[in-house]
Amino acid sequence: MRNGASIFLAVFIALGLSWCGFVLAPTRQLGGAKQATILNSSDRYPLGRPGEANLGLQVYRANGCAACHTEQVRQSGVTCDVVLANAGKNPGVVSNLVSTSKLKELTKEEADGVSQKIAVAGGKTEIHIVATGPDIARGWGMRQSVAEDYLYDYPVQLGNLRAGPDLANTGVREPDLNWQLVHLYLPASEVNGSMMPPFRYLFEVRKIGAAPSPDALVFPKGFGPPAGYAVVPKPEARALAAYLLSLRVNVPLYSAPFTQ
Amino acid sequence: MKYEQKSNTPLDTEPTATHETVPTWIFVLALLLLFLSAVYFDHHSGWFDAQVYQPYASAEELDEYQPKSGAAAMLAEGKRSYETVCGLCHGYDGMGKPGQAPPLAGSEWVNTKGVNGLIRVPLAGLNGPLTVQGKDWNLSMAAMGAALSDADLANVLTYVRQSWGNKAGLVTADDVKSVRASLGARPKPLTVEQLKALAELK
Amino acid sequence: MTDMQSPDPRPQTPDPKLDASCGLPLLALSGGAALWLVVGSALAMIASIKFHAPDFLADCPWLTYGRVQPAADDALLYGFCIPTALGVMLWIFARLSRTPLSMPLVAVAAANVWHLGVLIGLAGILIGDSTGFAWLEFPRGGSVLLLAAFLLIAICATATFGQRKERELYPSHWFLLAALLWFPWIYATGNLFLVAWPVRGVVQAAIDYWFANNLLFVWLGLAGVGTAFYFLPKLVRRPLQSRYLALFAFWTLILFGTWCGIPQGAPLPVWMPTLSAGAAALLLLPLLAVGMVAWRTVWGSVKSKWDNRPFCFIGAGMDCFVLSTLMLIAMACPQIGRVTEFTWFGPAQTQLQLYGFFAMTMFGAIYYILPRVVGFDWPFPKLVRVHFWISLLGILLLIVPLAIGGVIQGLKWTNPGVAVVDVAKATLPFLRVSTTGLLWILLGNLLFALNIFALTLVWKLALLRKAVAIVKTPLTTAEAKA
Repeated sequence: MRNGASIFLAVFIALGLSWCGFVLAPTRQLGGAKQATILNSSDRYPLGRPGEANLGLQVYRANGCAACHTEQVRQSGVTCDVVLANAGKNPGVVSNLVSTSKLKELTKEEADGVSQKIAVAGGKTEIHIVATGPDIARGWGMRQSVAEDYLYDYPVQLGNLRAGPDLANTGVREPDLNWQLVHLYLPASEVNGSMMPPFRYLFEVRKIGAAPSPDALVFPKGFGPPAGYAVVPKPEARALAAYLLSLRVNVPLYSAPFTQ
Repeated sequence: MKYEQKSNTPLDTEPTATHETVPTWIFVLALLLLFLSAVYFDHHSGWFDAQVYQPYASAEELDEYQPKSGAAAMLAEGKRSYETVCGLCHGYDGMGKPGQAPPLAGSEWVNTKGVNGLIRVPLAGLNGPLTVQGKDWNLSMAAMGAALSDADLANVLTYVRQSWGNKAGLVTADDVKSVRASLGARPKPLTVEQLKALAELK
Repeated sequence: MTDMQSPDPRPQTPDPKLDASCGLPLLALSGGAALWLVVGSALAMIASIKFHAPDFLADCPWLTYGRVQPAADDALLYGFCIPTALGVMLWIFARLSRTPLSMPLVAVAAANVWHLGVLIGLAGILIGDSTGFAWLEFPRGGSVLLLAAFLLIAICATATFGQRKERELYPSHWFLLAALLWFPWIYATGNLFLVAWPVRGVVQAAIDYWFANNLLFVWLGLAGVGTAFYFLPKLVRRPLQSRYLALFAFWTLILFGTWCGIPQGAPLPVWMPTLSAGAAALLLLPLLAVGMVAWRTVWGSVKSKWDNRPFCFIGAGMDCFVLSTLMLIAMACPQIGRVTEFTWFGPAQTQLQLYGFFAMTMFGAIYYILPRVVGFDWPFPKLVRVHFWISLLGILLLIVPLAIGGVIQGLKWTNPGVAVVDVAKATLPFLRVSTTGLLWILLGNLLFALNIFALTLVWKLALLRKAVAIVKTPLTTAEAKA
């Protein structure tokens, strides 16, 4: 490397190659807005979050929730289950086959083989596709996260650390608005032993006036403000809760198939 | 506290570099790692397909694991039933077997506009000399499809009409049902004249 | 052809004007950097305490964990690591070129612009204006200033390089020049594609991963290894072994290091994580090459140089480079990555890279350079050794528990039978030990800052004395007549 120009060239080539590979290529491949079709349906996905949920995403970003939570479900494998749909004209033979063959966690070839055997005996089967992995076993999702799940989000908050559970499907697991708000105000009241800090500054504690506010949080027994006071969410808290409730990704897509 | 060059310390020199050659083993290691990375890429990358996500390794694998329903499911079921019931004689590739059954691939009796004639063949059976794609066949077929349900037979016939280069339309369960009703129980096997008459009808 | 000793026939004493020309820029850059180092360590401590005591400062939105942790990381990287590296680079270029620094006042102005940018950026994160992208959190105002300041300093360094009297390039030239081009390209890309005209959807994540890897691994590697390759042979008074192995290290670092960064489970088409995994395996090559160059250069001299304090820092930095790169390669292996992804193992590797490797190398360089450019020795020389041992202890207590805790956390996450709260409880003891590590690191950084501020004060006092002396000197008769 004789002079500055050759160093410049070397850097240009090396960084240019990876820029093309990891900046340009993904932008061209995934950057165009493309909704996907839900499998075995004509519905499109995703549909875009409601306005309050989009504001909530900005609250999520501003408070750095991604520092402790991820929003991506991982999948480590895929298996097939063979399910009997119709016993057919020889129920005895078919039920014998069903009880003696392995019907769950098969590869596609094995599933086809078992299906064929039962079809020969006159029964009808369906093959169910099942995504597997520790995240899925924990109930955090039914399939892995793919590009379509983040299509309309800015900024995409994938997260890097799981100090707390994954949130990709939290709208499915905890669909109650009050639960989400109470959990933000005082996590320990909903999750015993939680290490999540309380986000009290997103709420107001007000003296109950003539009538209690319809927005007031309903706490579990033993927690909550002192008598005569109610906890009311500020707009940021409501937006954040709306965003959390909108986090649902359990739809089968071509790139992440599963049988519902 | 003023910083001064102490007299007993050596001079502050700029570093230089020797010209020793690079050991060969590191180049060998580099080539080995490049090869292994290339193999890993070939097996795991899905070759830049935008739809293939980990854990699927290729577009073909992803395609295999799609849950089937609708037309695709019909074909898949029909294929299964065909291979169980018809394939032994007509061949798994639809090419037929001399002395046993005529071919179905490209057969003018399969690729008809109407489906009544075709449905009758497995429901009632067929006897008599038949010309298929220029070749003569004089065999007799039993009513192999009589035991299948309407939907199953429809799937099989749809599969036959849409495989091995055949590009004909669907056969629905309703078609099968109406033909079965018109035939009645225990129909007599068709003769070739009857089949020809039916094929021309529609 | 082996060249164990290659005596340079040219004169060895460096021109004192050369060192003096770097004085102001280096003080400007490292003075501010020391301040950010302390601020960053304090913020990191607050963040770490919040894990054992979630109620700690919970009612202050400025100090919520999600803001304080990124602020601490960015203060360490952008506030301390990069400006210190730039200062060291300027001095190394001046020395290797055998000419004084070109446009030192531009460099001083750039230093002030940089520190202003960091201030705006950190304040932005704490008030909730973070961009939301890892390692790119500074809002637009801050990042524009950082880019402008970097480009100004790059101009100074390139001008100094262009005027070099010594025409043959030394290996550090390659690494440091590459670093000067690398940062503006990746920083501009990150800000243009993610903040200014954002790309749609998960491509943001892909570009963020690319940027973070290129900054934290490749850029820090280029700047840190370039600095180490300058100082190690200088301090042990032996030539670098060898030029061609260093070239091999340079090429493999920039060719393969830049492709790592996309984690295995990312919601991106599988060709991206696969390319990253392949590139991570190839990282063995620069790792081996750098390790071999460093080891062969210092072999046999380690014991005799034990009391040379810059050497201790830089040696420790090189050891941490090897360890952190090994951790990076391990994390990219699919079997290991499945366990360590999303655990504390990742932050452990990042902190080892940032603090154990890069900050320690910069400490060693600054401890060597500043007295020479300022003209005064360190006001508290004994604290330098204390700083070294405290830093080492702090790194050990910070990284090792985080790494082990991360692996245990990962094993529990992959076991669906373990409840979420139990996973968190299992990591608590490790987090507590790592907080004590952060405490030691904060203490060491305070000693470093103390030395630098005292040195600045001494220098300013000397300037003041000189100015007063000039004013007080009676005019000569010639001047009086005029």
